[in-house]
Amino acid sequence: MIDEMAWVQQAQKGDDEAFTNLVEMYQKPVYNLCYRMLGEPEGAEDAAQETFLKAYQNLARYDVERSFATWLLAIAAHHCIDKLRRKRFSSFSIDEDEEGQTEIPDRSAPDPETETVHQQTRERLQGCLQSLDPTDRAAVVMRYWQDCSEVEIAQALKLTVPAVKSRLHRARRALADLWEEKEEKSHMHHERKPYGSPAF
Amino acid sequence: MDHRPFEDWLLNNQTLSANEKQQLNVHLQGCSSCSALAEVNLALKSVKMIESATGFSDRFQARLEAQKKALRRRNFWGLLVLTFSVLSGLVWISWPVFKSLIQSPVDWLAACLSTAVSIWASIEALFQGGRVILKVLPGFIPVYVWIVVLLIAGGWSLLWVFSLIKFTKISQGA
Repeated sequence: MIDEMAWVQQAQKGDDEAFTNLVEMYQKPVYNLCYRMLGEPEGAEDAAQETFLKAYQNLARYDVERSFATWLLAIAAHHCIDKLRRKRFSSFSIDEDEEGQTEIPDRSAPDPETETVHQQTRERLQGCLQSLDPTDRAAVVMRYWQDCSEVEIAQALKLTVPAVKSRLHRARRALADLWEEKEEKSHMHHERKPYGSPAF
Repeated sequence: MDHRPFEDWLLNNQTLSANEKQQLNVHLQGCSSCSALAEVNLALKSVKMIESATGFSDRFQARLEAQKKALRRRNFWGLLVLTFSVLSGLVWISWPVFKSLIQSPVDWLAACLSTAVSIWASIEALFQGGRVILKVLPGFIPVYVWIVVLLIAGGWSLLWVFSLIKFTKISQGA
């Protein structure tokens, strides 16, 4: 944290190397947020890069009293929300995206079978996430992936704390409905498979 | 099916007693909706961060450099166009003067000299008039009027400074 503040202050004075250190430090959470928001790696890479460019350009406006991570994630979330809103009317297939962004299974995991099940669960969750309203999605990602508090989410998304709570409740209910729907679909799919029958 | 209070327990991530846990388990066995909510809760708790391809900061540096270069190029061309436009405007405005200077330089110099002398004389007259007013005016206006005027001016300045601070304060939301 001491390093972070020193880098921020140096970067505010125009030190590009200090800003690169900040990029290296925060590339993972920023990229993850963009990926969870947009659902595809190319778009996420572009959005993460744009986030750091915006942060670089607005560094003079950053208030050192606030958390740098929250400030950065707020820029990323707003950038992705804007991108999703612009994209709203263009065709967007969840199934297509699911195919393109499979996560690599963790080979070091003790039980590969359990890891595969976890991976499928994560993929299904990502699929459900794509159906949420962009702001609700940002709130969920910041809460569960970035471990942000409700106050930090409220600051980042320019909402009140009760609004964040209500959005998180609504989002989880919507995720559960989509989860149930996908579960039913997957059961139907398995039932229809001829090679799924015990006779084969 | 009545989902209360089970749905609230799941949505609020409440700490449950052994008895409540048992009740919830019984409910989850027969309720697919609450069961899905419990599964989503579990899935959200086991989420993993995803990483970008290697070389992210190198790609960022290249992008930043390209943007800086583009900005420098835009500034250079912008300055060039602006300089050219201003110069063209000046030439266009002063064209009649240039024309007369080329046609009859002596007449033009004489006109310039007479204009300069008249401007100088006007300034001199204004200064003299101002000096007379400043000598005479304080005698006519009582001291309390000066105090009121100064207080109003000071208050107005303060109001102006505070409004500037308030309205130009940068939002830290994003």
